[in-house]
Amino acid sequence: MNYLTLFRALAPEVILLLAAFVALTFDLLLQHSHELQQRMRIAGVFAIVGLLGAIVLLIQQAPVTLLGGTLVVNQLTVIFKIVVVALTVLTVIISIEYPVGRHVGEYFATVLFGAIGMMLLVSAEELITVFVALELTSLSLYILTAFHKGALRSQEAAVKYFMFGAISSAFLLFGMSYLYGVTGSTNLREIAVAIQATGSTPLLVVALLFILVGFGFKVAVVPFHLWAPDAYEGAPTPVTAFIATGSKVASFFVLTKFVMLSFAGMPGSAFWKHLTPGWTMLLALMAVASMVLGNLAAIVQHNVKRMLAYSSIAHAGYIFVGLLAASVTGATSVFFYVIVYALTNLGAFGVVTALSERVGGDDLEHFDGMAKRAPFLSLLMLIFILSLAGVPPLGGFFGKFYLFMAAVERDSVNFGLLWLVIIGIAMSAVSLYYYLILLKHMYVHKARNEERLKTPVYLNLTLAAVAIAVIYLGLNPQPLLALLKNFVAQL
Amino acid sequence: MDHLHKLARQQWLIPAIPLAAAAIQSLLPRSAKKLSAGLCLMAMGISCLFALRAFFATLGHAEVVRAVWNFTWFDYGTVSFKLGFILDPLTAAMAAMVTFVGFWIFVNATGYMHDDENFTRFFCFLSLFAAAMLGLVVSNNILLLFMCWELVGLCSYLLIGFWFHKPSAAAACKKAFITTRIGDVGFFLGILMLFWKTGTLNLYTAEGTGALQRVGELLGPGWFGWSVATTIAVLLFIGAMGKSAQFPLHVWLPDAMEGPTPVSALIHAATMVAAGVFMVGRMFPLFIAGGSLEHPTFAMDMVLYVGAFTALFSATIAVAQFDIKRVLAYSTCSQLGFMVMALGAGGLVPGQFHLLTHAFFKALLFLGSGCVIIGTHHEQDMRKMGGLRKYMPITFVCYLIGMLALAGVPPFAGFFSKDEVLLVTFQRSKLAWGMATFAAFLTAFYMTRQMFMVFAGKWRGGDHGAAHGHGGHEPHEVPWNMWLPIAVLSLFAIGLGFFGGKYAHYLGAEEEELSGKALVMGLSVTVGTLGILLGWFLYGRKPLAHASDPDPLESKLGGLFTCLNRKWYVDEFYEATIIRATMVGGTLFRVIDKRLVDGILHSIVWIVRGISQVCRWVGDEFFINGGFDAGCQTVRGSGWLMSKLQSGRVQNYFRILGLGTIILLVVYFLK
Repeated sequence: MNYLTLFRALAPEVILLLAAFVALTFDLLLQHSHELQQRMRIAGVFAIVGLLGAIVLLIQQAPVTLLGGTLVVNQLTVIFKIVVVALTVLTVIISIEYPVGRHVGEYFATVLFGAIGMMLLVSAEELITVFVALELTSLSLYILTAFHKGALRSQEAAVKYFMFGAISSAFLLFGMSYLYGVTGSTNLREIAVAIQATGSTPLLVVALLFILVGFGFKVAVVPFHLWAPDAYEGAPTPVTAFIATGSKVASFFVLTKFVMLSFAGMPGSAFWKHLTPGWTMLLALMAVASMVLGNLAAIVQHNVKRMLAYSSIAHAGYIFVGLLAASVTGATSVFFYVIVYALTNLGAFGVVTALSERVGGDDLEHFDGMAKRAPFLSLLMLIFILSLAGVPPLGGFFGKFYLFMAAVERDSVNFGLLWLVIIGIAMSAVSLYYYLILLKHMYVHKARNEERLKTPVYLNLTLAAVAIAVIYLGLNPQPLLALLKNFVAQL
Repeated sequence: MDHLHKLARQQWLIPAIPLAAAAIQSLLPRSAKKLSAGLCLMAMGISCLFALRAFFATLGHAEVVRAVWNFTWFDYGTVSFKLGFILDPLTAAMAAMVTFVGFWIFVNATGYMHDDENFTRFFCFLSLFAAAMLGLVVSNNILLLFMCWELVGLCSYLLIGFWFHKPSAAAACKKAFITTRIGDVGFFLGILMLFWKTGTLNLYTAEGTGALQRVGELLGPGWFGWSVATTIAVLLFIGAMGKSAQFPLHVWLPDAMEGPTPVSALIHAATMVAAGVFMVGRMFPLFIAGGSLEHPTFAMDMVLYVGAFTALFSATIAVAQFDIKRVLAYSTCSQLGFMVMALGAGGLVPGQFHLLTHAFFKALLFLGSGCVIIGTHHEQDMRKMGGLRKYMPITFVCYLIGMLALAGVPPFAGFFSKDEVLLVTFQRSKLAWGMATFAAFLTAFYMTRQMFMVFAGKWRGGDHGAAHGHGGHEPHEVPWNMWLPIAVLSLFAIGLGFFGGKYAHYLGAEEEELSGKALVMGLSVTVGTLGILLGWFLYGRKPLAHASDPDPLESKLGGLFTCLNRKWYVDEFYEATIIRATMVGGTLFRVIDKRLVDGILHSIVWIVRGISQVCRWVGDEFFINGGFDAGCQTVRGSGWLMSKLQSGRVQNYFRILGLGTIILLVVYFLK
């Protein structure tokens, strides 16, 4: 191990760091001479250049294991890092027009720091590194949530998010220390071996549960979801998009690693009438609670971002159903779904960003008659919302189909997991109700103000590209699925 | 062969280009007429070039070439859903025909639809149709073929009902959609059975594992004592009967003439209706599996006699129609019957060859009738035409060529292909051959009748026009973009027949000397001539003088003519039996639904309400808050309850977090 290898393996992260510093410095220099809008564009372009550079480097990366298994670069992590970086690019693009206040350089730099945290999280295979990466991500997101300097709502949301996050981190760290204490290792693979040998012990159960609390907070499942509606609503919308997509992708990836790798020795069972203690059982309980609560609570929301927050809680529940199938198909379906879901959600939040700024709010009423005022973005929103609702042939449909199929296939004799699938499908039907309410506001309700909304062309094109990707992943899921399936073995 | 495989990989482009055009067109505003038509034509032109390149690449090989490109759409566990595209002579010739004829019909449509306010939408549908039709042709997978098949059905529906404000058009498009759907049920069952028995829906693979390459395994017992292959073939043929308007599912095609005339030319003459014939040709190995010329399978017999009967039956109806397009519509039914009959007689080559020649001259005739309709200011009744030779010389010449081709006069294209059809049928069944020969006689007769009524004598439109107060409009020749396509198509109607021998070789038929060649050919020329002479005798010597004059044939045939004019009362028969029965059934179910199902539902609601009342009486606040009074209200109410968890106070959040953790822990250890 020499430092050059280390540097080469971490070059994508390094280039993001450089881009963040450049954006920060340049903005300081331009602070007094340039308009706010121009500064946003300049800093945004620096960030995008850095991110694109990171993608180029990522594509060329060779598989390598660093620092004795602390950080791992392989095809699967590369794919996920590319996804994270791509989501960050989209976040930056939808941020450029958004008024985040005077601290332009800081804003983009923090976004990039968050992205670095997520990339490290994807690579990490060691407890301390996972924790540090997670904290880097979370702290960046807390700061970003508070960026609406003028709005009290944003400050309140950030404080709640931070406090809730701090408590969860405490749980996570506590669980990790137990895990280390019992197994004597901080490496995920060595922990797996140790747990296989000892089997389930009370201390391990506490460790497992506390770690799940920590990740449950990150991916916002019931009962660790309470921060999400407030944070989603209060944060600047591009930041909400970032929290709901990039951070989720990375968190789900590392959570999958934890349960399927480290805790493979104590799976338990979530089969109907055969519930046995283990991580699948815990996930099943959280999945049911999330699917039911997320979907039901979403119905009565009046704010689009809040509604999407509850919908994302429900989606985390669906993903858990695929995850607790604990099989290769299950993991593949989780990864596929997470990617599709992140793209779709980013698109939806992108449209909300573009429109809410121009109509002065993000309540359902603000979207009345949007189809007349901004027909193109409304069309894109239609695609994203229908994909979230799981309507074929969009990506969301295939993703959900695979998740549920993986659960059914897990026990194709007695269909032990069918109960979860039935709840999932029933709740999907409920979800259609609130998704359609939003579309009804956009397409059926009369606008109070008929004036056409002008949105920048680059934003329209970017969101259209996302929509095309969502449609493409629905029509032709095979390439991505095959890719993921091939590399899941490397998990 | 490498070159062919490369081309097979690119076959998907042929439908994809019009599809992309349709997608763009669907976004255009209504005013973008030129752009829409331009996109449509350009896409079709490029597709045509691709199709021709593929076509020429398949020429000149010593034996039949077939290249396929299959790919996995997605797989799940052990089941893998594959799709694929194919390049073989059948596909290449069909794709070239569809794109070429389609292109010229589109050109004609720019003139025909010139003043329509929904011009942009029309061309969007045309592009979509082209994409679907070409997808059907290049598909190497029966499921993909079926999807495109349904898509062309949808386009047909949209285009027949294009002027949906006319009640007749709205009714016609529904009729077409529903009637073909009856056939599609059979088709779909056939697909399911094929998948069940072979486990694949790809027709050919390079390794020889395609469904059609393994028909040998399908000779086990199926339904009704037929083999599996025959059962599947019969089911598939039911689908073809719907699409290709074979008796008794032919009723939709004449009504489909409510659509704009270029649509009739493209969809209801040249391409879509031929899809059934094409599909039978594509699945031919299934039809002949387990049979021989002496002992044909049931599927082959069914195809043969359905075709022969339709050919004769529709020809008799065409004799007594007055609407210029209806004559052509029944003629199309009849000619499709010829093709189907040829396939049933084992003649894949004559059937497909007649399909190709027919596409050219029937498109020509339909476009010609469109020119006539435009030239006479939207007149479709032949009794109110007459004398158009003088006013529309170019249309007249082209129409005459088309008519001679259809009537089977040598050396026009129709003569050669029809002659081959009759010859191959002659080998198999003298009865079918006799029916077809008589149908050929009627064909010559009704086309002559039409020619004389439309183009000979003097202009009779004035009678009618004067009565309605907008008379005085004399017919006029149509603009160049309408006559040019028919001129181009008439070249093919003249010359295409000479390639019959080459085509047989191209499709892989072996040279064989068929008996009775002279007899069949002589007789077919004789009946053709007789038909024309009879037409001249009745309509040519003394053309109709006034629109209200009785048809000469009517006075000869009397009641039979009325019967033919009313199409043998098939529609009335369906109305009185199937539709009436469906209505009665529908009413019955409505009553059941209202009384029984609703009754049960209502009683459930009452029970729930009762429970909720009881709960209120015992003072259970929760249930009232939850809201039991109606289903939706319950869900909404519980949503409200859930969101109450979200008090906004961060202290409560921590309580719930801690509580959740404890609950999970307790569940874990109790379990």
